[in-house]
Amino acid sequence: MALAGIQIYKLLPQTNCKECGFPTCLAFAMKLAAKQVELDACPYVTEDSKKQLAESAMPPIRLVTLKGKAGEARAGNEVVLFRHEKKFFNRPGIFIRVADTAADEEIAVTVGAASSYAVDYVGMKLGLDGFAVEAASGDKARLAAVVGAVRAATGLPLILVGRDPEVLAAGLEKLPGEAPLLMGADGSNWEAVADLALKHGAALGLSGASLEELAEMAVKAQEKGVEDLVLHPAAEGLGASLALNTQIRRLALKNFRPLGYPTISFTSGGGPAGRDAVAAAQAVCKYAGFVVLDRFAPELVYPLLVLRENIYTDPQKPIQVQPAIYEINNPGPAAPVLVTTNFSITYFSVANEVEGAGLPAWLVVTDAEGMSVLTAWAAGKFDAASIAKAVKGFGVAAKVDQKLIVIPGHTAVLSGELEEELPDWTIRVGPREAVDLPRYMKEVLV
Amino acid sequence: MSRYIATRAIRGANALVSEAEAMLEQALGERGPETPVAFPNTAYYLPVIFGMMGKEIGQLGELPGILAHARSLLHPTPSEEHWTPYLGETLDSGMATLIAAEVIEAIRYVYGLQPESMPGFKLAGGTAFTSPDSDGGDGGPDGHLNGAIDDIQLRSWGIQLVDGRMPGFAAIVGCARSNEAAVQIVRQLQQRNILCFLSGNVNGRSIIDQLAEEGVELGYDTYTVPFGRDTISAIYALGFATRSALTFGGLKGGQAREILTYNKDRVFAFVLALGEVDDLKYSAAAGAINFGFPVIADTVIPQILPTGVTTYEHVVSMPWNEIEGADDSEKAKRLVQKCIEVRGVKIRMADVPVPVPYGSAFEGEVVRKADMRAEFGGRGSRCFEHLKMAKLDDVTDGKIEVVGPDLSTVEDQGSMDMGIVVEVAGRKMEQDFEPVLERQIHYFVNGASGIQHIGQRDITWIRISKKAADVGFSLEDFGKILHARFHSDFGAIVDKVQVTIFTDPALVEGRLAEARRAYDFRNRRLADLTDDAVDEFYSCTLCQSFAPNHVCIVSPERLGLCGAYNWLDCKASFSINPTGPNQPIRLGRKLDAVSGYWEGTKDYARIGSHGVVEEVAMYSIMQNPMTACGCFECIVMVIPEANGVMVVSREDTSMTPAGMTFSTLAGMAGGGIQTPGVMGVGKYYLISPKFISADGGFKRVVWMSSVLKEAMARELEVVAERAGDAELIERIADERSVTSVDELLPWLEAHAHPALAMDPIF
Amino acid sequence: MPVEIPKDSWPGAVNTVTLGATGDQGGSRTSTVTIGGERSLPFMHFESPMPHRPAIAMEIAPARPADWSAVLLEAWGATADDPGSWARACEEAGADLILLQFGLKGSGDEPVSADFAVAAVKAVLGSTGLPLVVVGPGQAEVDNSILVPIADATKGERLVLGLCEEGNYRTLVAAAMANDHLVLGKTPMDVNLAKQLNILMSDMGLGRDRVVMDPTTAALGYGIEYGYSVMERLRLAALQGDGMTQFPILVTPGAEAWKAKESKVGEGTPAEWGEWRQRGMNWEALTAVSLVEAGAHVVVLRHPESLRRVRAAIDELMASETA
Repeated sequence: MALAGIQIYKLLPQTNCKECGFPTCLAFAMKLAAKQVELDACPYVTEDSKKQLAESAMPPIRLVTLKGKAGEARAGNEVVLFRHEKKFFNRPGIFIRVADTAADEEIAVTVGAASSYAVDYVGMKLGLDGFAVEAASGDKARLAAVVGAVRAATGLPLILVGRDPEVLAAGLEKLPGEAPLLMGADGSNWEAVADLALKHGAALGLSGASLEELAEMAVKAQEKGVEDLVLHPAAEGLGASLALNTQIRRLALKNFRPLGYPTISFTSGGGPAGRDAVAAAQAVCKYAGFVVLDRFAPELVYPLLVLRENIYTDPQKPIQVQPAIYEINNPGPAAPVLVTTNFSITYFSVANEVEGAGLPAWLVVTDAEGMSVLTAWAAGKFDAASIAKAVKGFGVAAKVDQKLIVIPGHTAVLSGELEEELPDWTIRVGPREAVDLPRYMKEVLV
Repeated sequence: MSRYIATRAIRGANALVSEAEAMLEQALGERGPETPVAFPNTAYYLPVIFGMMGKEIGQLGELPGILAHARSLLHPTPSEEHWTPYLGETLDSGMATLIAAEVIEAIRYVYGLQPESMPGFKLAGGTAFTSPDSDGGDGGPDGHLNGAIDDIQLRSWGIQLVDGRMPGFAAIVGCARSNEAAVQIVRQLQQRNILCFLSGNVNGRSIIDQLAEEGVELGYDTYTVPFGRDTISAIYALGFATRSALTFGGLKGGQAREILTYNKDRVFAFVLALGEVDDLKYSAAAGAINFGFPVIADTVIPQILPTGVTTYEHVVSMPWNEIEGADDSEKAKRLVQKCIEVRGVKIRMADVPVPVPYGSAFEGEVVRKADMRAEFGGRGSRCFEHLKMAKLDDVTDGKIEVVGPDLSTVEDQGSMDMGIVVEVAGRKMEQDFEPVLERQIHYFVNGASGIQHIGQRDITWIRISKKAADVGFSLEDFGKILHARFHSDFGAIVDKVQVTIFTDPALVEGRLAEARRAYDFRNRRLADLTDDAVDEFYSCTLCQSFAPNHVCIVSPERLGLCGAYNWLDCKASFSINPTGPNQPIRLGRKLDAVSGYWEGTKDYARIGSHGVVEEVAMYSIMQNPMTACGCFECIVMVIPEANGVMVVSREDTSMTPAGMTFSTLAGMAGGGIQTPGVMGVGKYYLISPKFISADGGFKRVVWMSSVLKEAMARELEVVAERAGDAELIERIADERSVTSVDELLPWLEAHAHPALAMDPIF
Repeated sequence: MPVEIPKDSWPGAVNTVTLGATGDQGGSRTSTVTIGGERSLPFMHFESPMPHRPAIAMEIAPARPADWSAVLLEAWGATADDPGSWARACEEAGADLILLQFGLKGSGDEPVSADFAVAAVKAVLGSTGLPLVVVGPGQAEVDNSILVPIADATKGERLVLGLCEEGNYRTLVAAAMANDHLVLGKTPMDVNLAKQLNILMSDMGLGRDRVVMDPTTAALGYGIEYGYSVMERLRLAALQGDGMTQFPILVTPGAEAWKAKESKVGEGTPAEWGEWRQRGMNWEALTAVSLVEAGAHVVVLRHPESLRRVRAAIDELMASETA
């Protein structure tokens, strides 16, 4: 059984030196108990303690970090099978495949578009994580040239895909000081690729169709000294892939070390339309550490990035939207001002209802630390002062003719105080539920 | 069971079975065994026989076997000498009576004698039927009573009975004391949406005649169905009940026990026997009791009060002459009220009948001095509210009285004394719920537009705005609000609500003293309410939406970590909503008095956490502490260097000796994960004698947010006294003096904190 | 290297529920849909085979809906003008069952009436042999006013009637019990609320084989993670043996996804969102497939192409692991 934080604390130096990045030894011990840090972060821990803490010392799934010229992609360090049990920590990196057999111009266009791709989602900028350059030509020079070209166009981390160690080596030469992922080792060639990985400080990807095969290679690679491994369960079909990925995650969480590594998933661009999107979505939800797409298309990438954001949200710390004044259906100066909190679901419920009904409105979203209206009100994070602060801070008065504010029905109790905070505004109490807003706006507000 | 009733019921059953046998023999001879028998427009054959015996009767020839069964249920009448328990015999006789009655009505349908003809009578909607002997043969509504209810109407009413729009039905048998009484009884029932089935007579005169004479429309459309003018036709009520169970209970013919239980638990029906009760009525009533339907009579009959087969009393006598009331109409009202209590029919109040808009949207309104018509409490006058439990018979539901001068006597913007005394009664009401319900007065009164309510108990402060007064809001309306809301929100435990508003200063004085005695009593009761004094704690799963595996156990000495639910609240919540988030945890054997482990809490920890948490100690932070969701009022965390714990309030944003602020700590304490050394709690747990008592109790507190020290200064004094160190609170550091663990130790030493000398905390 | 695959052995199972009744069974459907019965997490065939595959329902309306995305209306064309022809088109497109969603309006601007609703249901039953789910507009009084007559008029069909919510479940359950139908309970994204409604409905005596639950979902980007986790938790609780969480799950990714601006609107959207039609289809299919993997037994969709995509995904997921 895993040790509790206070038990671990006893084995630590108890000096509160803070060098681990935590304010006290107890705080560090508790993070360690939660398997969210590694014992290595403590510079003063004794060998004896290290032994006793062996089980608590290492996360069940190794953290593997791919480094490019600029930017990193991290995978691993996961501690649960279901996001509700705690949370999923490291968003799987989404990579775009580039085959070195493609024309230079095509490669340039894809890499250019994909590397600069950035989309706004509830105030966050989402983008891609890197490229997987495939040595499809089998030609050292060609791969090196393409890697060079990609590297010239972007600093994002790279994955090199190919079975021939010599060809891969040519590509690696173009990436000094980086930690890319070498993908293509299987039962027949893993040793040579492992040497290459060791030499260049790259992570090593292992492909195998069965858990036995993967575990065996992983153990041998470990013995050889390769620490950063990535597993590629090569399965045909969504069902088989789901089963293998689930089994790997389960075994890893049970501290089965040979499979305690992140996995990678490749989605083939072939097959019927939309098949690649579905396969990638499964990889995002079900445990992949890296996902490689066969093509770049915004209508494919955008939903995947959003899905990843959603699934990797901390279930206990809901997504927040940016506190701001949001325009719904191009509001004019006559449109009403609605107020709500910055809990994403609250925001979406309100925004969707009003937008869906085609009613123009100004929506003031206050900073309530991501809590819903009732919770925030109960915790004192959504009160007259914070609403007034938002209304003043966002310059709402300058946008409207009639100074009318609608507050959520559940917080009717705030109306009195708010009148005092915003003396020249009329405060109205809206419905309790967002679904009743359109009717309220049509029937009561007019 | 009364021997008198048993004797009469058994005698009546014997007579009716014999009568049915004779009729059947005659019918078989005259019409032949293949003659079809059926009630109109039903797929349930003869429903009571089908339901109880599983027999699908279609022909006269099948009936002898049925009557043979009825006869087998008969017993000899109890002898004068021997006292034996008669309940079983009487219920059996009742069942035999129902079977015989249904056979008789079936034969009457064969002869065209049902529905009973009544020249000149017009049904306001009813069962369509065709009879070879009826004059028109068109099944029209004229010239006859209704007879059995058809399946179409059964479905329509059945759904309303099941979904609660219709609270129940009354089978009224006999003849009321006067036409006035008859009309009033039916009106009272109709007002409550209770279905009325009419049958029977006294000396040849039936309530149906009485109502017809008064021009009361009878039929489906008016929810009053005239079955027939004899007692036998009351069988249609039980046929209706049986079919309800078959249709809406998913039951099959022959599942007698299940059908009877279904009716007892779900069909809120009762029998109202008007006028003299003869043998047949006794035996039919015994049949109704099988269904869990109690019998209320307006004459002197022996009562059967112990409950068992029915939910409450079996037979209640409420002699007409003894009912209070100036006239028959008032008496009728009381009688109906009694019927409703006996069956436990719950009344729903849809609207709050006050002249101002009402709804939760108005809860937060502020009435400023300038907009105010009058105020109660505050600086200029006294105001209090007191809710007390009373016996059912001592409360008149809906009675609202203002004792003393009215609002009109108060000068503009003036103030006046007021005491709001609410008396509630209910079969499931408990004295412990008084404070829980009393606290609701604040929310209920605030729901009225233009009314502001602040405070509680004897610091209540109410303002009525000019606007509200202008549209006619009066003091009586406080009572109307409370009556309506207690019924609608707490109907599960409250059956009757009576409100008295005292404004006479002398009376306010007296009532206030009484209220204060009650407040004191409650305070003492709370103090006496220890974990050892109860055998149940409560679970709370309200927060599992945030932290799915979080286990919250609320005990008398440890309130919910959110601070919003104490043990009494949970208990009341469970009574009101038995499937809700607060469920009782039977404690069972105590396993460890120091740490606080019981068999029951252990089992619940596993179930409530879905197997994630094995055990929860009620009184320890160091071993198996209770988990937290995220809505705790304070975080308690061990400070190993100081051999104690710190307590951070969620209102405190400053740095703590743990090197983390509240929001960082919250990530560690929350999420439903058991983290020894860290715990989220409600702030009133701090002053409980059981506060981390396994780890040394309150003396372990070495640091505490100043906001807590200030907000709970009085309570903390008591804790210090209990610990035998009046200075204890001053020895605890806070963020004004200490914000790091390095500063903490010297500070504690300088203030001689007891924790430094205690056993190591771990 | 031998690896022992960890298999969970669960004490509980999801209830098996059959939607629709054929002529022999007292209805008029030509096919029925059976869902549930699992003894393991979704698609973990190596632990326990899934007895029934997740089903796909297509949503239709009694009249051409005014608020649907142009992409959808274009895809269904003139068939959407009439519920009968629309339902048939869904059957031809490969739906397993039909969900008929009523709004507050009947024909034209009239409020929806019992006659209108019964006629629409009859039209659908007359034109397709698939099982049918009928959902009211979501206002308790209106729901009751149309669903009770529908239940009466279609006795024996084993329709699924919805939505049962805490405020009105009694009426619908009673109507279903009296007429051999099923009910759909809906609760707002919370395991305990779902459980509570299930307890209340079961307390009325409705059989375990006659309840389907909708724990509520949101679209991708609009809170899908809440519904996703609630469904995973419900399934885990069901397998752990909690009887009141063992009802099969129906969710509506189609309606949710096509309400989102990303799918609904083609103009005035950021270029980074990409091509409208493919984006809309991805939005719906990704929402649906994610929920199927979280434990949905019926997903209700809107676009015929999404139907094809989700069906293909389910085919792959149902294939044995060694395929």
